Amino acid sequence: MSVMTEKTGDAVLPPRPDNGTELLDVPDGWEAREVEQFLYREARLADENDYDGWEALWTDDAIYWVPVDGEGDHPRATVSIIFDNRNRISTRMKQVKTGKRYAQAPPSNLRRIIGNVELLGGRANAEGGVDIEIGANVLAFESRPRGNTLWGGRTTYRLRRVDGQIRLAYKKVVLVDNEQAVPTLGFLI
Amino acid sequence: MTEIHPAGQVIESEFASVAVKLDETGNSVRLRVEDLRTGRVRFLDALELESLVWLADGHLTQLLDPSHERWRG
Amino acid sequence: MTAVVPSPSDVEVEVREGGSRYDRLIQPARVHGTLYTDPSIFAEELRKIWHKTWVFVGHESEVPQPNDYVRKQLADQDVVMTRDKEGEVHLLINRCAHRGLQVCDDKAGNSSSFRCPYHGWTYRNTGELLGYPYNKGYGGKNKLELGMGKVARVASYQGFVFGSLAAEGQSLEDHLGAAKGEIDRLVGLSPEGKVSLDAGWLRHKTRSNWKFLAENETDGYHPQFVHGSIFGVTGSPIGALYSDNSTAVTRNLGDGHSENDLRPEFRGFAEPMRWFGTTPERVSNYVEAMNEAYGEDAERRMIEGAPHVMIFPNLFIAEIQVFNIQPVAVGECVQYATAVQFDGGRELNQRMVSQSIGSVGPAGMLLADDTEMYERNQRGVEMADPEWLDVRRGLLRESVDENGFTIGSATDETGMRGFWNHYKSLMTAPDEGHED
Repeated sequence: MSVMTEKTGDAVLPPRPDNGTELLDVPDGWEAREVEQFLYREARLADENDYDGWEALWTDDAIYWVPVDGEGDHPRATVSIIFDNRNRISTRMKQVKTGKRYAQAPPSNLRRIIGNVELLGGRANAEGGVDIEIGANVLAFESRPRGNTLWGGRTTYRLRRVDGQIRLAYKKVVLVDNEQAVPTLGFLI
Repeated sequence: MTEIHPAGQVIESEFASVAVKLDETGNSVRLRVEDLRTGRVRFLDALELESLVWLADGHLTQLLDPSHERWRG
Repeated sequence: MTAVVPSPSDVEVEVREGGSRYDRLIQPARVHGTLYTDPSIFAEELRKIWHKTWVFVGHESEVPQPNDYVRKQLADQDVVMTRDKEGEVHLLINRCAHRGLQVCDDKAGNSSSFRCPYHGWTYRNTGELLGYPYNKGYGGKNKLELGMGKVARVASYQGFVFGSLAAEGQSLEDHLGAAKGEIDRLVGLSPEGKVSLDAGWLRHKTRSNWKFLAENETDGYHPQFVHGSIFGVTGSPIGALYSDNSTAVTRNLGDGHSENDLRPEFRGFAEPMRWFGTTPERVSNYVEAMNEAYGEDAERRMIEGAPHVMIFPNLFIAEIQVFNIQPVAVGECVQYATAVQFDGGRELNQRMVSQSIGSVGPAGMLLADDTEMYERNQRGVEMADPEWLDVRRGLLRESVDENGFTIGSATDETGMRGFWNHYKSLMTAPDEGHED
């Protein structure tokens, strides 16, 4: 005889941050070239461990997400490698800047390639505007005393213009090997 | 004939009434089948369903013999 | 005992004729570096510990429905945890009885039976062989007394599923011993007396011997150093719990289990939910549910909080996280980590997921730093001199509590010594081999 049970106690969750709202058309006023230049700058700041410069790219409603198991389950109901809001990004940066975040002290030597950049569409944001959504591939080479690690993934970004500057509102990195055990990820992927 | 029922889509004749729906409470999707006349429920997974599809007509007919399981006597 | 720090030479153990090498490598105040680096010792550990004693594998809540299954690891063994149609949980070894192929490939699913992709041999989710294609080649149906491999003994405690590859041995409850009470404490923080581990698992590859992790989990000496960076920037009060002024104790629970018992500190504050870094007002639904479930005892539970216990050899309950440590090779292991979810405590559950993401796993603001230490430790012990690791901290101030357990101060290495005592007893036990 089959047992009838229903999963109970699921708290009400907000829509998933990645696909919980409709993908709109690419908003007006964006050039592929300037988008790419922004992504390359973000990559360089991360590669060079310029924590202040990197943190300054983010909007106040930032989401920085590195799931496990492919695209991941809902990040408020299941664990992720990283799921930071603006506050937690700030904490992460303060920690690493103490110089005693041992997983990044000394910092990793890093270089990454961002490629296959595509303008995918737009997503409505909480401020009533529409962020541009961009997909890209990333391949990062990390060197630490423990050895070298090659990190590959697909990154989805959302960008917004704030006071004439391009800012980063959302970044999700789906690591190619996120269904396996991965080593310490101390740097900014 | 189908109608909306909390237990799923209803498959009904003058002899039997069952509701079927996809159930996603397990670690992968299953078919939930409810005998609406008794409330008895059976879940069928993909491999079981595939096996049903390949069941020879004769074997399926044997299952319909009322003394086969339910009214074994 | 005199109040003199014993030096290793004072506690040098005479190795009697025919004695085990572990009598020499594991001494009361020091252990030898080769225990972490010698592949032959690792091979012996697999045989005498990981393939013999009770090992934590997973939780019943990972297979909530009949016929659910999930792939797990038991040391070097690829295991399928299944729930059969009657609801019983099994641990199958993921290997076809025909040619030895891995039968299940997906991480999880729901199926009453498993069909090997190589030649179609099909098994019930209890491991029993159901049939094989073109059965005339075997003289017909049901001619083979074969099945998938099974973990010889499976038992669970409060939903935590353990497996032992040895057909005989002590019961799970005997193995858990005093650690049972710590698991009870954890589930006693659920208004329904039940926890689930269904928030997924982080998998952290660690280039270190597994024992560095087991020892570190109740090492109260390291947090102020390894985690000073995050305690400092968040103003966390955790550091103070692990200082010489702390009233917390490190307890050797016996059988290799140990805990950092923080209750003396939290009893001193007598503030419900302080252990969780919050106040009753901010989680009022949870507090109300606890009061309803446990009446007058609810306040004590919410003051004392969750356990911080290392259960030999691989289950670490760190208040709101559960870790499953599995060895891969002498210098590599994987830490699986998840957030505890309290049944009936949904107000806490999302917070526990969020806090766990911040703290543990490959990018965790606590565990990435612990893991850096494990890896540096592994490289360190590969150096030639000094050959020994010192585990004497607190030996001179240990005492025995009212229940007969050895306790030390918050920062003492009492837990490690308990670990090594038990480890040594297992490693020096007669090697029975695998006949039975």
